[in-house]
Amino acid sequence: MRLGLPDIKAHVRASETALKYLTAKPRITVPYPEALLELPQGYRGMVKLNVETCISCTQCARICPSNAIKMHKRERKRLPGINYQRCIFCGFCVDICPVIALEFTDVHDLAFHTLPEHLFEPEGFAKGPPPPHVARGTRKVRTEIDEVRGFKYE
Amino acid sequence: MMDSIEGFVNVILGLLFTPQIFVPLVYPGLLTAAVMAIVIIWLERKVAAKVQLRYGPLYVTKRMGGVTQLVADLIKFFFAEVIVPRDVDKLPFKLGPALLLTFSLLPVVALPVSGQFEAFRSDATLFLAVALLSVGPIYVIIVGWASNNKFALIGGLREGYLLVCYELPVFISALAMAVLYGSLDLVELVRMQGPGLWGALLNPFAAVSFLVATFMSTSRFPFEIAEAESEIVMGPYTEYSGICYGLCMAYSYIKLYVKSILFALVFLGGWLPTVWPFTLDPTLPGLIVAFKAAAVMLVGVFLRAVYPRYRIDQALQIGWRPLFALSTASLVWSLFMVGVKVGGWV
Repeated sequence: MRLGLPDIKAHVRASETALKYLTAKPRITVPYPEALLELPQGYRGMVKLNVETCISCTQCARICPSNAIKMHKRERKRLPGINYQRCIFCGFCVDICPVIALEFTDVHDLAFHTLPEHLFEPEGFAKGPPPPHVARGTRKVRTEIDEVRGFKYE
Repeated sequence: MMDSIEGFVNVILGLLFTPQIFVPLVYPGLLTAAVMAIVIIWLERKVAAKVQLRYGPLYVTKRMGGVTQLVADLIKFFFAEVIVPRDVDKLPFKLGPALLLTFSLLPVVALPVSGQFEAFRSDATLFLAVALLSVGPIYVIIVGWASNNKFALIGGLREGYLLVCYELPVFISALAMAVLYGSLDLVELVRMQGPGLWGALLNPFAAVSFLVATFMSTSRFPFEIAEAESEIVMGPYTEYSGICYGLCMAYSYIKLYVKSILFALVFLGGWLPTVWPFTLDPTLPGLIVAFKAAAVMLVGVFLRAVYPRYRIDQALQIGWRPLFALSTASLVWSLFMVGVKVGGWV
């Protein structure tokens, strides 16, 4: 009968790796309100609308794969509004906009108290997302690519 | 008037500190088990987070690293609605969590934490503790069946498969230690380990097989198969909500706590090395046992950060092949040791 003895060496190596990371200094995540991640250029955060430039072409609402963007009727033209319950941050709306009326912000704080707060009608959409939550003594951290560990925060 | 109140308080305190009440309710019973479970669950989450380069629970009492996170969770469980689905088998479904917790905690009455302070003295406490510990998993299968849910049923059946393959090594390695020291009495067992000859040193085979079977029976990784969250939701406890789920979740941690105390007593020398004047008072021996048990629990929860989950057939293979063989070998080793009378004392 084959006993199927365990590979002791592999078990020791697995435990060693875990112990090594237990004492390792940097972490992949940042503590949310205390450290604010400085985001790279072209980061796909929440979207902001420029009402003056918008030509009501409705392309953004058509391209949106999750039906997050709907057009709302206003006095002179139709303007897009966005529902962050649905948005998947694909950025198609920003890409397709022929007059660059939509632009990314570097805010991604999607924690709201009520469901209606997720819905940004054209007025709110033009105002842009609320500023990110910050705690007292928030510090900005930047991602650095480290040769050994991959990530490092400064 | 004052005298009568004082007398009443004294009677209550005297009653509390009698071993028959103190052991099941305070230490090593309910109160200590609850505190240990809370701290060890926090440590488990914190260690797993640290190894995966995350932070883990942090914001509840931030200065202490979020140690009261589990108290907050418990309060949340108390205020969550307990839902009893329409099609479940009502009586076993409602009784299940309470019985699970009861039978995981009941064996503490058989565990002495010092030479003098014990709930009752019997010459078969080792057997009693192991036997009582093997009752709990039956209720896991019962709640899995009573839940009328396919995930719960699959989880219950997995527990049933595992139950057979981990209880056997536990019993055989406990038997090996009983043969080695010639006693089933835990106090006697610890006394025999006196001259630095701890069970784990004399019979490492039994220690390893008991430890692995303990982790298997308490759903530690890599044997967290009955509850496998990514496969079958929460296994047998899928249909539970609120405090009933809390009790089910606490079951495996309380069981880990009790089995760790048993491991500390049988293999790690119990309250040794306490020398004579300190053995008269149960405080120091109790603390030493708790410290050793906590170390064993810490190893158990650290494994979450090391291993992925085994498939059920892999776990059964480990249970029936190397583990069963190892425990049988430990029994043979014990008989050999007794035969050659190692050190001239066994």
